[in-house]
Order: sequence, then structure tokens, then C-alpha cells
Amino acid sequence: MGYIELNVLNQPVAPQQQGALGIDLGTTHSLAAIWKDGRPQVLRVEGESALVPSVVHFPRKGAPVVGQAAREQAIAAPKDTLFSIKRFMGRGLGDVQQELATLPYAASETERGLIQLEVHGRKYTPEQLSALVLRKVHETASRALGETAPTRVVVTVPAYFDDTQRQATRDAARLAGLEVLRIVNEPTAASLAYGLDQRDKGVVVVYDLGGGTFDVTVLSIEEGVFRVLSTAGDTHLGGDDFDAALVTLARTEIAAAHGAEVLADAGCQQALRLACERCKIELSSAPRGEIHLVIPERRLAWRREVSREEFEALVAPLVERSMAACRQAMSDAKLAPERIDEVVLVGGSSRIPAVRARVAAFFGRKPHSELNPDEVVALGAAVQAHILVGCKRDILLLDVTPLSLGVETMGGAVSKIIQRNSTVPCSATEGFTTYADDQTGIDFHIVQGERELAADCRSLGRFKLRGIPPMPAGMAKVGVRFHIDADGVLTVTAKEEGSGASASIDVQPMHGLTDAEVEGMLASSFEHAKDDFEARRAADLATEIGTMVHAVEKNLNAARAGLDKESLLDLEEALARAKAAARERDARALQKARDEFERASLPLAALLMNNVAQKALMGRSLDEV
Amino acid sequence: MGARCTSCGAALELPCACKACGALQPLATERDPWTELGFEPGFDLDEALLKKRLLSASRLVHPDFHGADAASRALAEALSARLNRAHAILADEARRADALVVLLGGPDESTSREMPREFLLEVLEWNEVLEEARQAHSWSATVESLRDELAVRRHGVLADVRALLAPTPARGDGRLQPARAKLNAARYLDRALGELEALRLSATRS
Repeated sequence: MGYIELNVLNQPVAPQQQGALGIDLGTTHSLAAIWKDGRPQVLRVEGESALVPSVVHFPRKGAPVVGQAAREQAIAAPKDTLFSIKRFMGRGLGDVQQELATLPYAASETERGLIQLEVHGRKYTPEQLSALVLRKVHETASRALGETAPTRVVVTVPAYFDDTQRQATRDAARLAGLEVLRIVNEPTAASLAYGLDQRDKGVVVVYDLGGGTFDVTVLSIEEGVFRVLSTAGDTHLGGDDFDAALVTLARTEIAAAHGAEVLADAGCQQALRLACERCKIELSSAPRGEIHLVIPERRLAWRREVSREEFEALVAPLVERSMAACRQAMSDAKLAPERIDEVVLVGGSSRIPAVRARVAAFFGRKPHSELNPDEVVALGAAVQAHILVGCKRDILLLDVTPLSLGVETMGGAVSKIIQRNSTVPCSATEGFTTYADDQTGIDFHIVQGERELAADCRSLGRFKLRGIPPMPAGMAKVGVRFHIDADGVLTVTAKEEGSGASASIDVQPMHGLTDAEVEGMLASSFEHAKDDFEARRAADLATEIGTMVHAVEKNLNAARAGLDKESLLDLEEALARAKAAARERDARALQKARDEFERASLPLAALLMNNVAQKALMGRSLDEV
Repeated sequence: MGARCTSCGAALELPCACKACGALQPLATERDPWTELGFEPGFDLDEALLKKRLLSASRLVHPDFHGADAASRALAEALSARLNRAHAILADEARRADALVVLLGGPDESTSREMPREFLLEVLEWNEVLEEARQAHSWSATVESLRDELAVRRHGVLADVRALLAPTPARGDGRLQPARAKLNAARYLDRALGELEALRLSATRS
């Protein structure tokens, strides 16, 4: 006998546990996408942009503000509004001096060499700030879906991000309460979105010019496997730098005309930055643009027309830097431009006509941008998320590590252990020995980069091996295994093999956030998390009550016709109370109201079930049912 | 080969995973790159077949398809790393030959650093040109013709290696020593060509 499905009162839908989100955590904007109805789709709340500005504003009192509302505070409160946070992820103070010079907020370094940004006397790491952005993106995704969005996520990073930058991204997601399934390189993600759409075999180049970073990746797509052949890039090159070129021009001219003091304060600098950004965007669709800066307090109303030719001359060195990386990637892939089948443009700044023209000239073909360059990375991340939750096995990403990995030798040179563009996961083992009798520990310094001297490479930190059994100098055979996983993140394990004991050596990394530090941040963020959790629970309950109210009101006529007097009165009173309670904010009060309402609706539910069952059964004999 | 899947008992085409049931095979001692990818050890290799095997093996062992629990993922990571390493070795002629010499009991790079005599004399000349190029940090016609010359020489050296190693000699064969010497020469050429390419790219930049 089959069961007839009865949908009586609209039951609230259980939160989607099965799926996973794809999140593009960008320098200027972030967004989420999900696989739905057979394809990846950007999560957009009706009437709003899908893009969440990666900006965090700290008001004097109350919770931090994230997104468009924060961006709007950039001019009024420049020291309290943090943007381009991605440029600081996994960096030390020394790495970002140039960036800091142009930014209005204060920065310092922890004892472990991590950067912190300061607002209202409090210090925040880039991981904590990015976590706020990720929470906002998740919240927006939930609103778009009409239910709590999955907390399992795939987050993208620039292909050229090194180990510390990737770890920082993982930590940020963890702080946001998200479970990271995978870190995926942005150009590779874009190729996934593009590959589904356009092409199933060939060699593709992805040119990704984002807000703060540039990547170029060469891929071979074959039999559903997206295999990266090479990748190159520049983590200090992006749309922000194009804006900066105009800012420099403007500052010089304004200083000459009105004196340098007029732009002295941070608010004015932000206003100028935003005005230049607007001009840059104008120039992408018109031959002339204008930098229009109005500062009433200084009685400044400055207009400067900029032609496309002038802009192109200004930014030509930046475009050339990106082409240098293209040449590098092609060289590493051992391919000439003629061998490329398709070129794909990703990132808002790839809309700039000068960029498009240069790319087309270099590769000898018109680049593709049918997919929205702002959304394609998130879409690709959603595809990967779909694959990882087990729903799609016909597509596989084979990515590479972008930088060579090496160990510093006695003389300060680098001994390369893993070559750049090696397919990940990859492993290599290197042997170490002791130089003194009974030495029980070895220190070594791991770096990433292509330079000959360790000092010129990116330091991944010093590692200590401890617990080597005491023995004469040179006898210990410590095998150190360097493993780079599918996310591009390094793990180091060690074994002492000579003694035959195969003791596992303890490896201490001395960089990045330790697990204890992440736990500490999580604990302090739990303060807010508890409030957030309560607030969300209250919101969910209010929604649920609303749904139940609607369902009951729809069936009131049936209730009046079929219910006994007492039950009907009970229901009508409960209905009135529920409507009033829905305006409450306290989760406990809402829970109570909801439970009472449900109890009062049970007689109506039973009545309706009978009615529906009767209608469904009408016309069928008992034998058929 | 005779190896069987520890899960379903089917014959294994590749040692890392079973095509029939999808099970990852336990991590054993690291195998030589040919065995890892199902080839007979030798200098010559069907490169198209090599790529096909890499793609199908990756689909079986990649950690993205084994994320259910930490242990499966860790095993998948280790098996993938081995697979990728084996592929990287087999995909490059010089690395392939180097692995073959070692597999056959011949000297490895660290025990024997000698290069053919006449080659050493040429190395001295080439080093002079390279040093000048380094100092000038520019790409001239001289440097370009050096690059072309080195590329041709590399091709020739590897042809010599092939003559020594194909058909595959027996273990401990007398040809392994001269093969090693030639491979050391090839290594010098690869380094020099790598440096010249880096110079070419940076010169174009400025």
C-alpha cells in the first residue's frame, strides 16, 4: 500500500545540512555561491548587490559593521574603517610597509611577527577581521536562501598565496565558525565555472586581476580533469594600484593648486581614493572620465578630466608587470602563446580596456569574459564545494604549489626540496644529521621562493626538531618529510631512522597562529558568538511563528466550520498571542509562544488531515489504497 | 603484476587504488615510478599513455574524493603525493633516465659527479659566457646563440643516454657508469638553460 503525502500546515524547513557554500573572499568584495538546480548560482538577496564589500567598521559603541554600511563610513571615520584586509593576511609588518603608508589606520606586530591593525585602542589580526567579513557573507547567503546556509565551505585564495597566507585564510574561516572543506586557487576555481560553460578539452589561460592580487594560471582541461600546468603572479598588484596611480596624479595637482595641507587628514584621503576609483570605472566604458572631489570643510571642489589615453599611460607599468608574470607562466608550462586555446579574464579590473587589449595582443586571441568577472570565482568555488560533498565525481582539480620550497643551508643559500609548479599533493624527504655529540635537537629554516639566498625568500619560519636520541655527531639520520596538501599547505613530520627506533620527532613551527592562539580568539569571539546565536535563534523562531500564523489564517474558515467551540476559541486566542509575540526579541519568550501556538493548532491540523485524506481517498476503492 | 586489491581481491591495474571497487590500497614501501604507474621500467615511454594513467589514477586517489574521515584523507594525500612524484619523474626524460640508472644498481648523482672529459672543456667556455651575461644582466645575440647551442647539446646528450639505456640493460651493467656521466652533463645543461631562461624573462621585463 502506498502512502499519500499530506502537507497540512506549512512546516518550517530543516536547515540545509547536506550542501556546502563556495566563498570568494576578495580584497575589495566577497560573495557566496551554491550549487542549486543543476548549476552553480550566486546567492543574492533581492534588491541588493551580491557583492559584500570586504570592509569592517568599528563604531565607538556596539558591534562592528561589515559590508556596504561599513564602506559608507570610510570617509567619515577613516581610522575606524578597515579595508583591503586581504593584503595583510599572513604578513609581517616588514612585508606591507608600502601598503601601510597609504592607509589611514595604525598597525603593529605581535611578538611572533604577526600583523595587527588597531582601532579604538584595540588590536585585531587580519584573520579576525576576515572572519567578520566571512560571517557577513554567510549571513547574506542565509537570507538569500531563506534558511540557515551550510556552514561547510570552500574558500578561494590567490594562486600565488604562500603557506602562511593560506593558513591565515583557514584560520579566518574557523574563527567565523565555518568548516573549511578546501582552499582553492582563484584562477582554478574560475576555470571550473568557465569549463562547465564553454569547453571540455584544451589549454586555457586564466588572467585574474583582482582588487589587490594578480594571478595567471595555465591549465589543461581533459576528460573532466582540470590540471594546472603552471601559475605565476604578484600578490601586490591589483585594481587598488590602478586607483593609486590616479591618486598620485591628483595629489600632486591638488597640492600645487591648493597646498598639501588640504589633503592632510585621513577622511580627505579616503574621499580622494574613492573619487579616483569612480573615475577609473568610468574610463572602462567611456573615453573620458572625471575625478571629482568635494570637501566642504576645506571649501574644496576639484574637478579633473582624465582621458583614457592619459590613464593608460599612467597604468602601463602595472599592466606590464602582469605581462611579465604571463611570460613566466608560459615559460614554466613550456608553451608558446599559439598553443593556448582560450584565454579567460577574471576580476573586476580585467574590465579595463587597456588590460583587455594587452592580453589579446599577447595571446593573439580575444579573451573571454562571458561570465561576470566579479562572480566567476565564487561560482567555481560552489562547483568544487558540490564535488567535495560527494555529489559530483566526474570533475577533478589538480592544482600546483606556486612557489619552490627550500631549506636554508649553512651558508645562507637555499637548498630546494620541492620545485614550483609541482602538482599537489606532493611530498619530499630530506635527510639531516647532527654536528655535535649527543645533540638532541636540530633547527632549520624553511622558505618559499625562487631566489638563491634564503634571506630573499618568504620565510615560513623556523622549525625545531626535538627528541633525537643522543649519539655521536653525524650518526643520527633524521628524515624530514615535507608534505604540501591539496590546499597548498605545508606539514612537516620527522623520523629518526639511524637508531632503528624510528622515533617520531616533535616539530614546532614558529610562525603564524598556533592552535592555542586560534582557540583564544575563538573563545573571545564566543562572547559575541553567544549573542549572535541567541539573536539568530530569535529571528528563526519569529519567522517560524509567522509561517504558522499564515497557515492557520489560511484555514480559518475550515476551522470555524469543523472545530468544536472550545478548541476554536483556544486557537483564536493563541493566534492573537502568536501575532503579538512575533514582535519579541527574546529567544526564550519566542520559544514559549511558538510551543503554545503549536499545541493550540493541533486540533485544526487533525481536522485538516481528515479533510485532505477524505478528498484524496474519494474515488478510490479500498483495494486500490 | 599479480597484486590484488586488499578490499575486494580484484587484480590491481595500478598499485595505489582498485579500479573495480575504488578502495585505496594501504601505504607500502615506496615503489619505483614505473611500477607506480603500471609500466615496465625502461627509457622509452608512451607519453600519451602516461598522461591518461595519471588522470585516471588521480580520479581514484585524490583527497577530494576521500574526505569522509581524517584517516582516508591522510591516506589519499600520501598516495596522491607518490603518484604525482612518480609522474613528475617519468614525464621528464632526464629524470626518467636518472631513476632508471639508480633502479638498475648504477651510481646515483651524489656518488658519481664526473662528466665526460671533452664536455668539461666546453663547460669552461660556456661558464665564461654565462658569467658575462650574469654581470651584464641583459639578453644579447651572443647569449641567445649560447642558449641555442646548449639546447642542441642537451638533445644530443640525451640521445646518447638513450643509446646506452635502450633496450634496458641488466642490473649492474657496464653501461650504467657512462650513462651517469652523461646524465651529469645533462644536469649541468639543464641548470645553465634554466638560468638563461630566467635571464631572458627578466631582461624582457626591463
